[in-house]
Amino acid sequence: MSDIAVRVNNVSKKFRMYHERNQTLKSTIMRGRRSVHEDFWALKDVTFDVPQGSTFGLIGSNGSGKSTLLKCLASIYFPNEGTIAHKGKLAAMLEVGSGFHAELSGRDNIFLNGSILGMSKKDITSKFDEIVDFSGVEQFIDQPVKNYSSGMFVRLGFAIAINVNPDILVVDEVLAVGDQEFQDKCYQKFQDLREAGRTVILVSHSMGTVEKMCDKAAWISHGTLRAVGDAAPTIQAYKDSLSSNS
Amino acid sequence: MRYLKEVFAARELLVNLTMREVRGKYSRTLFGQLWSLANPLALMVIYTFVFGFIFKTEPDVGDPSGLDAFALWLLCGLLPWTFFATVLNVGIGSLVANTGLIQKVYFTRIVLPLSNVASSAYNWLFEMAVLVIVLSIAGAFVLPWVPLMILIMLLLAMFAAGLALMLSIANVYFRDTQYFLTIILQIWMYLSPIIYPVSLVEQASKDVGGLLGTSVSLIDIYRLNPMDHFITVFRNLLYDNRWPDPVEWLVCFAWASITLILGVLVFQRNDKRLAEAL
Repeated sequence: MSDIAVRVNNVSKKFRMYHERNQTLKSTIMRGRRSVHEDFWALKDVTFDVPQGSTFGLIGSNGSGKSTLLKCLASIYFPNEGTIAHKGKLAAMLEVGSGFHAELSGRDNIFLNGSILGMSKKDITSKFDEIVDFSGVEQFIDQPVKNYSSGMFVRLGFAIAINVNPDILVVDEVLAVGDQEFQDKCYQKFQDLREAGRTVILVSHSMGTVEKMCDKAAWISHGTLRAVGDAAPTIQAYKDSLSSNS
Repeated sequence: MRYLKEVFAARELLVNLTMREVRGKYSRTLFGQLWSLANPLALMVIYTFVFGFIFKTEPDVGDPSGLDAFALWLLCGLLPWTFFATVLNVGIGSLVANTGLIQKVYFTRIVLPLSNVASSAYNWLFEMAVLVIVLSIAGAFVLPWVPLMILIMLLLAMFAAGLALMLSIANVYFRDTQYFLTIILQIWMYLSPIIYPVSLVEQASKDVGGLLGTSVSLIDIYRLNPMDHFITVFRNLLYDNRWPDPVEWLVCFAWASITLILGVLVFQRNDKRLAEAL
């Protein structure tokens, strides 16, 4: 147990598909009920363990439930059944730069975003230079972020999130941003995290990324777990299923 | 209890979000924080002209302060009311406005409405400080009452926060709530002794007598409005410079604490479902 960072146990997540969603009082009163809906299981009985210190990839087609699972991991959604236990501090990066205030400067936003991600002021102050350096926006750090280019915006967001220094980092398809140089920097950073014994869980559609970075992977299809284990065979199985379909 | 601990742990985030609101609000304006005074001043001019000058409403002379100015008397009740109304108006949309954040990052969600209360309180504190200075210049010996004024401000903030928490949740499920609120706040304002003194209501109540043959009079029903008690305490402290009735304090305290506890409970029961419901 000591070397397991995240334990996902029989997790199921249900969504309601509304045929008519009553978000107004009028319709609620007129019909005497809140809504008409049908259940949709986005995740069904998913169980796997993520070993500590591994880089774990979640793969699958669009709408297979990867992001739902990620949101459950990040405590944004709560599973209807099953449990998720994790050891140590977990940080999730599902979208970079959410929570930036456009009128505030990059500097203020580092402090704001850092504290949303759960860093204390002391942490942020000590990491400040590293964050600015990593993002490469030193020159513009006192400008309001609304004047940033979209690349700068994303780089700053990413730099903050990665410097939260969590034991477990959960990342959704955010690596596709930034130029080649920045992507290389990110890979290097993930490498460092892994060497420091941290766990990274990531979602990607790019098999190249997953192959390059992950040592373990799980393949999810239509809400159920199809395969889990070492990265290469899992990816191969996923690719085979794609080619057999077409 | 665990929930409260979590909220306490997020205090730094609360401060940062509050500063985000405060700094963001008047950024790129020429007058900055002074804008916070513009709205109450405009209302003061309008109400003083209509009710003080045309209708000739005459509130009792401040006892023992000796103040006799409708505009100042009005502000002592109007500033707490505008704070209260602002907290509800802004707080009710705080969750819907931050949908992106709630769906992408995990944090203690209650800080969103609470940071709105705090940033409104920051503006209010500024307005009240200006009012205290003006009252002092006008001859009221108001400084010794400032600590008690801060206490009643705190109670009103608690009351407003509790309501804002409940409303913000209600608004996630029913977006009608915010439009209802606008109407309700308008009615509520005229049902509170802000632009007219309670003594007028007492007079009217006496004229009518017991309602429907019971001993319940109009003023008894009027007194159910918590804002009546809050405004009375504010006026006693600031305009009259005397001790408010202990019963008034007790009523304010009861409303504030019960509403806040209820608000936190309602919020706690719903905050895990927010990301989906939005």
